[in-house]
Amino acid sequence: MQATPLLTIKDLRVTVAGREILTGMNLVVNAGEVHAIMGPNGSGKSTLAHVLAGREGYTITAGSAIFRDQDLLAMAPEERARAGLFLGFQYPVEVPGVSNVYLLRAALNARRKARGEAEIDTAQFLRLVREKAKLMQLNESFLNRGVNEGFSGGEKKRNEIFQMAVLEPVLGILDETDSGLDIDALKVVANGVNSQRGPDRAFVLVTHYQRLLDYIQPDFVHVLAGGRIIRTGDKSLALELEAQGYDQTVAAARNQSQIAR
Amino acid sequence: MNTVLSPAWRDACQRNRDAIPQLTWLTGLRDSALSLLSSRGLPDSGQEDWRYTNLADYLQRGAAGLIDPDHANDSAAQLQLILDDGRAVSPVAGAHALPAGIELYSLRELGSELRDHAASLLAGKDREGEPPALAALNLALLSDGWYLRSTSTATGTPPALHLRLAGSRAGIAQLRLLVDVAPGSRLNLRIEHQGPAGTLANAVTQIRCGAGSHLDLLRIQDLPADSLLTETTQIELDADATLAATSLDFGGQLVRQDLSIALSGPGAKANIHGAFLVDGRRHVDNHTTVEHRAPDTSSREIFHGLAAGHGRGVFNGRIIVRPGAVRTASALNSRNLLLEKTAEIDTKPELEIYTDDVRCSHGATTGQLDANALFYLRSRGLGPAEARQALITAFLHATLAQIVPEDLSMQVAARLQARLAAMSKAAS
Ligand SMILES: Nc1ncnc2c1ncn2[C@@H]1O[C@H](COP(=O)(O)OP(=O)(O)OP(=O)(O)O)[C@@H](O)[C@H]1O
Ligand SMILES: [Mg+2]
Repeated sequence: MQATPLLTIKDLRVTVAGREILTGMNLVVNAGEVHAIMGPNGSGKSTLAHVLAGREGYTITAGSAIFRDQDLLAMAPEERARAGLFLGFQYPVEVPGVSNVYLLRAALNARRKARGEAEIDTAQFLRLVREKAKLMQLNESFLNRGVNEGFSGGEKKRNEIFQMAVLEPVLGILDETDSGLDIDALKVVANGVNSQRGPDRAFVLVTHYQRLLDYIQPDFVHVLAGGRIIRTGDKSLALELEAQGYDQTVAAARNQSQIAR
Repeated sequence: MNTVLSPAWRDACQRNRDAIPQLTWLTGLRDSALSLLSSRGLPDSGQEDWRYTNLADYLQRGAAGLIDPDHANDSAAQLQLILDDGRAVSPVAGAHALPAGIELYSLRELGSELRDHAASLLAGKDREGEPPALAALNLALLSDGWYLRSTSTATGTPPALHLRLAGSRAGIAQLRLLVDVAPGSRLNLRIEHQGPAGTLANAVTQIRCGAGSHLDLLRIQDLPADSLLTETTQIELDADATLAATSLDFGGQLVRQDLSIALSGPGAKANIHGAFLVDGRRHVDNHTTVEHRAPDTSSREIFHGLAAGHGRGVFNGRIIVRPGAVRTASALNSRNLLLEKTAEIDTKPELEIYTDDVRCSHGATTGQLDANALFYLRSRGLGPAEARQALITAFLHATLAQIVPEDLSMQVAARLQARLAAMSKAAS
């Protein structure tokens, strides 16, 4: 079977406030795949996620990111979203006064408009959000509350996956969506992601804990350290890292002078 | 330093003194108004209260229109009652049905038994114990005015009684509305300013809320380009009266509102929401005073300012707690958003507290739209204009939420959306 690349990142270098954070990042994500990215704190995982989603404040000094044959880095954040990219934030932002349903309807309609389609029918929309809220075991009262406004840490993460479930992206990048979740919530979130897996879609899961990967089976596990991927393996790599930590892997990479000392 | 009252203004006041036979019961009040004006003069940017708002152009254009006002015509055009079907009628005609418990008279046709009520409202004083200069000017020059009384005790939220105040292009229209909310009654009142481009108006609204009454007051200023408006609103609340006032400034070129609320009876309560939008080269100045004169009174005031382009907003909120007004609870907040660096908002809360045993808080913030929130919304697919508009709408949400009934609130929200869309179009 011929693999269809959704996202191809080549030698991506990014500086923040004059410091190089991504130092030559390479990654190919094909349709149907789930990739896990693990790595020490401060290694650049969220930076990668933000750069892919189009956040301001990052300077791209080299490299490229192609998403569905388009130059991702040249697109505005909303264009990326409309093209099928979704970022689940490590720290979801509170937007008081803008309700979840308002945001989702506007987001869906923006996509439809970009495709030249009519606005979503109200009844159809409500059916959709109710169904997905149920899937995420999110009480319907959350729908009319301000986006993440006063949500607990775990509720915010669940809300991210709920939004993803409604928006049905082609590529979901989930930045530590599992952090701060209790065991039951972790299962709900994993179930939410699994329900969306399919041959045309892919996910990149940034995580610190292999436990998430018990529930969402990844095809690849990458170690990101010093701003680039220094090792790639299958699920067993996550187990190995869980047992041993990053020291050996990072030291080995250093010896091969893959990353700076 | 005050500007002295120029001969043009003085002559006009004198000419007007007895010009209207049906208003000679005002002559004594007009004389005091003129003598006050002669000693105090008109507002001048040398005065602390007027340092941000320069009325020179307004007064100059006003003075040019002082010659021979057409009293017969302007009176009927100055106030209109908007009926449910959208038709505007002049209440002077008297040929339409008002809701039960509502009476509306022109001052010219006011029966002698109501003149004392009207006169005591007309003489309303500011915090310094005198009528404000612009109210005095209005009294000296007015050719008519309106007296509205509610004795309605209907429960639930009545639809808003919709009045339109219209300025004019020939000189400053002196608009005067007096409102008596009888003890124990309730009134939902919506006042909207209107006029052609280049409108000039000096509006004075004086309201007394009797004991245990409730007033919902919505004021909308959405004047067309190049309009200049000064507005003095005085509201006095007797014991246990409650007020929910909402003030919106969407339009106008130069607008100054002085909104004073006196909590005169124990247990009186006021909720005040305000929002102003300034873009282009528009200038809107809101000065508010909430005076706690009696024990156990409470007030909550929040003003939201939004400025873009070279717009200039001013908010000055004063809280006064008089001696004896024990157990006063009062909160004042000014929140401001600057959408562009060229815009400016000056905000100043002022507290004068002459009693112990009070709970007063105040705060003022000025900032930009939250960049993180903007990115978050865009990352979900909203365009930058749409994301900005969503955040601005959220910023103004509490103001709109106070408007009753809900269909009116939604109607105003839709107007705000249209206004914001026009604003972002102008910016891009
Ligand atoms: N705006 C910024 N200014 C300065 N430094 C920044 C900025 N944003 C990120 N960094 C730095 O970039 C590095 C990578 O941060 P990033 O958030 O990508 O790490 P991470 O791998 O997601 O870490 P964690 O596992 O703790 O979430 C960190 O050292 C961080 O301090
Ligand atoms: Mg991170």
